[in-house]
Amino acid sequence: MHYGMVIDLKRCVGCQACTIACKAENGTPPGVMYTKVLDQVSGEFPNVRKQFVPVLCNHCVNAPCQRVCPTGATYKREDGLVLVDHDKCMGCRACYVACPYNNRIFLKRGKLKSGYHGKVFTPYEAVKYKEHQDGIVEKCKFCSHRVDQGLKPACVQTCPADARIFGDLDDPESKVSRLIRSRGGVQPLSEDSTEPSVYYLS
Amino acid sequence: MKQSEMVAQKDYWAKSACKMCIHSCAIVAHVVDGVVVKIEGDPDNPSNRGKLCPKGHAGIMRLYDPHRVKTPLKRTNPIKGAGVDPMWVPISWEEALSTTAEKLKKIREEDPRKLLVAINDFHRIHIWGWGSAFGSPHYFSTVGQYCGAAYHPINGTLDGSFAAVNDYDHCKYWIQIGAGDGFSSHLHVAASIKRMADARVERGMKLVVVEPRMSSGAAKADEWLPIRPGTDRAFVLGMVYTLLYELNIYDAGFMRKHTNGIYLVAPDGNLFRNSESQKPMVWDSVAKAAREYDAEGMNLQDVALEGVYKIDGVEYRPAFQVIKDSLKDHTPERMSEICSIPADTIRRIAKEFGEAACIGSTIMLGGKEYPYRPAAVNFYRGAIGHFDGGLDSLAMKLINLVIGNIDVPGGHIGVGLDHRLLIINAGKDGMLHPEPHLLHPPYEFNEKPYSFQLMEWYPIGIDPGHLTAENVLNPEKWGFDFQPEALIIEHSNPMWNLSATNKVVDVFKKLKFIVAIDIVLNESTDWADIVLPDLSYLESHLLVCIEPPMVTGHVYRRPVIEPLYDGRDATDILTDLADRIGFLPNWNGLLNFTTFLTPENYLDPNTKYSNLEITDRMAKSIYGPDKGLEWFQEHGHTTRLQTPEEMYLPFAQKGLRIPIYFNFIKETGDDLAQKMKAAGRDWDTSSYLPVPIWRDHHPLHNMPPEYDLYAFAFKECQTNFSESTTIPWIDEAISCMPIHLGVMINSKTAQKKGIKTGDILKLESPFGEVTGRASLCEEVHPECLALSNGMSRWSQHPVGKRQVTTHFNKLLPGDVKWTDGMTGHLETSTKVKISIISE
Repeated sequence: MHYGMVIDLKRCVGCQACTIACKAENGTPPGVMYTKVLDQVSGEFPNVRKQFVPVLCNHCVNAPCQRVCPTGATYKREDGLVLVDHDKCMGCRACYVACPYNNRIFLKRGKLKSGYHGKVFTPYEAVKYKEHQDGIVEKCKFCSHRVDQGLKPACVQTCPADARIFGDLDDPESKVSRLIRSRGGVQPLSEDSTEPSVYYLS
Repeated sequence: MKQSEMVAQKDYWAKSACKMCIHSCAIVAHVVDGVVVKIEGDPDNPSNRGKLCPKGHAGIMRLYDPHRVKTPLKRTNPIKGAGVDPMWVPISWEEALSTTAEKLKKIREEDPRKLLVAINDFHRIHIWGWGSAFGSPHYFSTVGQYCGAAYHPINGTLDGSFAAVNDYDHCKYWIQIGAGDGFSSHLHVAASIKRMADARVERGMKLVVVEPRMSSGAAKADEWLPIRPGTDRAFVLGMVYTLLYELNIYDAGFMRKHTNGIYLVAPDGNLFRNSESQKPMVWDSVAKAAREYDAEGMNLQDVALEGVYKIDGVEYRPAFQVIKDSLKDHTPERMSEICSIPADTIRRIAKEFGEAACIGSTIMLGGKEYPYRPAAVNFYRGAIGHFDGGLDSLAMKLINLVIGNIDVPGGHIGVGLDHRLLIINAGKDGMLHPEPHLLHPPYEFNEKPYSFQLMEWYPIGIDPGHLTAENVLNPEKWGFDFQPEALIIEHSNPMWNLSATNKVVDVFKKLKFIVAIDIVLNESTDWADIVLPDLSYLESHLLVCIEPPMVTGHVYRRPVIEPLYDGRDATDILTDLADRIGFLPNWNGLLNFTTFLTPENYLDPNTKYSNLEITDRMAKSIYGPDKGLEWFQEHGHTTRLQTPEEMYLPFAQKGLRIPIYFNFIKETGDDLAQKMKAAGRDWDTSSYLPVPIWRDHHPLHNMPPEYDLYAFAFKECQTNFSESTTIPWIDEAISCMPIHLGVMINSKTAQKKGIKTGDILKLESPFGEVTGRASLCEEVHPECLALSNGMSRWSQHPVGKRQVTTHFNKLLPGDVKWTDGMTGHLETSTKVKISIISE
């Protein structure tokens, strides 16, 4: 079993439903986005090309973040998910520097003392911020808590365009494997030998 | 499950309906220990199928917004103004309601027309008429300006629809003009994005997007055609010309069988009728004689669509020939000069479109054979939100009619306002009864105007609420002999949503009493004297179904948790006020009509009913006595996919034709012209035309030359159809998107003017000025500035404000001159001159 995600750039319309669904699912504090969609514009008027590129932790097979972690807080599960053990992370940020994708987020000490409306938390924030810890590094978990219940990650579940597809890269008959084969899935920065578990279709 | 049982659980998912835009996607809310921790799309719903847009997910942050109105509030600061703290103090419901009722009762006794009304909660259309039950005909908000005064009436006139969209499941060549369908807005966007993505990627549908700014739709299109704002009609008519005059591509079979294209038209533009039966006549080319359109034994194939026929010395032409003749000078070259799209491109797109229509082919669906026309033009506010917008709309319909794709598989499909689907009733002349007024009945003509929005002079329009301020401030112009004293607002923000903002401010200043019903404070409630807290959508009951493409039925909105604060449902508040003020019988009578009650469920005129009771009666009236609210609590929604018979050719099933020649519009205009003439009024009815043409006197394109750049506002999926910019998650997401951060200006245009990204600009139109931060880009037509609504807020609410507020509506006019004569739509683009304030 090797979980991975295929992102179909033809389908993505840049609506940011994934960005907000991720926030809602994970209750991330202000400024913390495990995933987002970048707008990329190239060319000159009228020959303009605009592409929406969703980005998130690539859950690399050869994860530099894991290699550099001095405490073993960043670990890899057998199913391919790269996760951070909050109790072991001491916030040294070596992983933050090592990630070539800039997909790790450091929660400064005190970060969880205020929310979107200052020091008074909404009832939702009061519940969800308990799942976070300041002084450590966080990132997209492929919604491991959902995956463990047999659900898709929140961004995949909601994507109105079905641009995000989640599944087993080891299974040649899974939808992700078939899409990667048939449409030539490309991993981001694969020359770095990180072997990301996220593939883009264009 | 009963409400009390459901909320007593520790951990549950509650089915409900979203209200983060005007539509009503089905949702499920996850509640743990009484706290909503997640909202997802309802996977069981055949429309959005588990999908939800960013706004839908952000509903949690609206529910728990600390700036929600938690109790009735009373203003203690007598000074009012933008940025002035009202110094709210909480008061009891009794004090709030009795104070409000006392003020409004006095007004009603003196003259109910002294009350302005801004009630336009799209999920609760049943309460829009509260003002009319009170006795006030006014409308001081915008609906038409937002969506389509020039859109909905034309849909209703064509095929009894309220909206329309191309057939996602079968279309193969989709031209999208000024619309966000399938990408960013309209008709259950999360559902539509999925259908559009499937069509594009799985079926290889070609998509051409025509608009001055590269929206997300244009970004995904096979081709983006940048166009000058307010000239979409010229582009489309250039295509029609190409199809009719150069390619000879049109669906004669559809026109003969399903339209009035065969009806003979007299030289004065009216239908040629049998002098005795008054039936419209057609030309039988075998008999070489004019016959009644439904004459027995006449073969439709023999009926002329083209030609000129002399009868008793008078020349008559089939309506299709009139259309053709009306467009004989609409060459791609001439249209290109107007719209800026090259003539060759207009020709090429017309050819691709005409060929993709597969005229003559059919498809079997549900065991029945239908015409198959997998090419269609889809359009929305960007295309028609203009002066002459009615003609814009007609042109968009015409190009679809030419290839015979109206309400057929692959084509352009009507969408109902609610569960009723299309309203198909027999009208005159074998035609469908035109239904331009689905929101409320038309206003009766009066030579002396009685509504500030002049609805009585727009017989097929939708309330031009943008005219209210102008007419309040200049009552002598049309002869208003009364002045407003109070305003009631429900789920509306006229200060923000109306054009000519400075005039709106002047009206707010004049008003002695303002009461607002809402869940959060906004630019308008900042001026209120009393604010009454509504329940949020996650705390209230409703059966809802707004513009459902592909599906029908109701989504049951139910409280997913107990209400957080001391709010009351807006329907209950308005019922209470109606009772206290003394017009409960009128109000109940209106609700009988607006909630579709059947006689056995009618409300007793003098009894106060709760929103719950009314909803229960509505459910029973529509679905039968055993399907009241309890049934919905147990079973959830009634939504289901429409059958092919419901979607396709519904008018033909009743033997009715639809117009390709819009004589109804001409007749309405002629009637109005006659009445206005008799009243001694100078009123322009020249846009009530049966055939859309380009008219050069368009005021937008004839502004003084110093206003050298077009300017328009836009929204994207994060902010469409809703007040979502004060929600922190949305604010955070759009703050990362360059399009929402400044005034978009084409880099070459900016270079010529010496403008750099980040410069603070002053934008001046003849109607107002705003400041904005320059944002150089490639995704906008060089003659245009594009302004996101994401930088338009200035209320007391702390979220969503930008360092530089750029509120586009300040640049727009709000008077009759800039209003479409046929439909009452405001011209929503303008032209500006720009200067650099600071670098």
